[in-house]
Amino acid sequence: MIKRRDFIKLLSGAGVGMTAAGWSGIALADKRRTSSTTPLVPTNIGIKGKVVVIGGGMGGATVAKYLRMWGGTGIDVTLVEREAVYTSNIMSNLVLNGQRTIQSLQYGYGNLANKYGVKMVQGNVLAIDPVGRKVTLASGATLTYDRLVLAPGIDFDTVPGLETPEAQAKVPHAWKAGGQTTALRNMITAMPNNGVFVMTIPAAPYRCPPGPYERACVVADWLRRNKTGTRVIVLDANPKIMAEPNAFLEGFALHGIQYYPNAVIDHVDANAMALYTSLQSQPIYANVINVIPPHRAGALITDNGLADVNGRWASVNVLTYEANHAAGIHVIGDASATTQPKAGHIANQEAKVCADAMVRAFAGKNPDPSPVTNSSCYSPITADTASWLTAVFGFDAATGTMKVVGGAATEAASRSKDNYEEMVKWFNTLMSDSFA
Amino acid sequence: MNRMCCSLIALAMAPAAALAQTTSAVEVPGRLLASNCFQCHGTNGSGGFERLAGMSSSEIIKEMQEMRRENPPEMMDVHARSYTDAQIKLIADYFAKLAR
Repeated sequence: MIKRRDFIKLLSGAGVGMTAAGWSGIALADKRRTSSTTPLVPTNIGIKGKVVVIGGGMGGATVAKYLRMWGGTGIDVTLVEREAVYTSNIMSNLVLNGQRTIQSLQYGYGNLANKYGVKMVQGNVLAIDPVGRKVTLASGATLTYDRLVLAPGIDFDTVPGLETPEAQAKVPHAWKAGGQTTALRNMITAMPNNGVFVMTIPAAPYRCPPGPYERACVVADWLRRNKTGTRVIVLDANPKIMAEPNAFLEGFALHGIQYYPNAVIDHVDANAMALYTSLQSQPIYANVINVIPPHRAGALITDNGLADVNGRWASVNVLTYEANHAAGIHVIGDASATTQPKAGHIANQEAKVCADAMVRAFAGKNPDPSPVTNSSCYSPITADTASWLTAVFGFDAATGTMKVVGGAATEAASRSKDNYEEMVKWFNTLMSDSFA
Repeated sequence: MNRMCCSLIALAMAPAAALAQTTSAVEVPGRLLASNCFQCHGTNGSGGFERLAGMSSSEIIKEMQEMRRENPPEMMDVHARSYTDAQIKLIADYFAKLAR
């Protein structure tokens, strides 16, 4: 088991290293792929199409890979991503307790380019022309498409008091894994004995329903073992714990976490390290304040008039993930408004449903009338135990939505070391399914 | 992988039958459904938890039926309970056709 895991880790590492070659080696890789020695992408299966994918996260990477794998060389796929590597949000709470580094969560795009012939373009998008079906990049280049997939993930509301980069550096969200995650880790390790760590959870929907509670648990677990007399306070804008209530209530009791529901953030005074909420007029002073701001879809959605749900999210047809009000434009992952959670595992499956529907559409066929997706994840509760949460979603024709089979998601009966071991394997396999 | 090799060879050998091949390559029974397994069992059912590629259809069905009875349910037991018999058959038949 350990051997296989190490092997996967090695592979992921190679992916990062290959990134630079991936950008420049595109033309070469494209030629190589058309030979019959590469079975990952079938030679033209009789369909032709041009797809541009914007955003190389869990949804975007997966849809690009599966369009080629299932659609063959006749489907020309270009993936536009502004970063050189993807940094996984999944497992990033383990950076906060020192069990992971940010580097260990990074995945390059070399496999998508070299193994699947996805054309990688690093850059920012300037404009989308849905009538002319073309995307203009900040570099001035234009990309034409038959179908466009937008997978920009989430963006944040500005929290009063955190308008400036200086204030944001003092009060990080660390909810997009990267520099802020490492910064928050450093703040936690620098906490004095008897120090206070406060975090806030935004109103749903937000990315990764169990994630904030998981964060509180792993941070409190680390503090309990490394500092004396520290307190962890969780202020939740929601009326209750939004996922795995049994596991987290038990974890909160174990770690002595103070949990307050219905606590909406009013503003932050970053200089005074004071947090003002709807709970009381006096502020809460803390050594570390971790504010996870309210979410909305990435700017690509809000800037292009696609945020038709509360001005925040794009509504889609869950048979195809085509936006309800933009023909030829699909929205997958966290940016779309569906009954499914906003999380990487299910974004991966939404991407497959979307890829399958596009392949069928290029052949003049209807989408699968009864798609199934699933959401599965593990949550560490301590440094060596985890719980899990899972749900299978089926298409409900009466409402046109994805509904949980059996009515509700199921959580683990109890946290365990076995679950923690399985979590690592799940994570490595999921990342490979999207990036390798 | 095997499936793709087969469709490649079939296309090369019988161009006249290309249309029929196209249809089957575009709409592969059970493929989208089975892709729900890939996140944990690896793309095309290999490279993660238990290898599914090339397993016999009856073995997959038997294991899923057994998992439905496990209590308290582990994660896979929840999945076994969440698919219909017809869906499990489609998934099992799909993996059985892949190279072992």
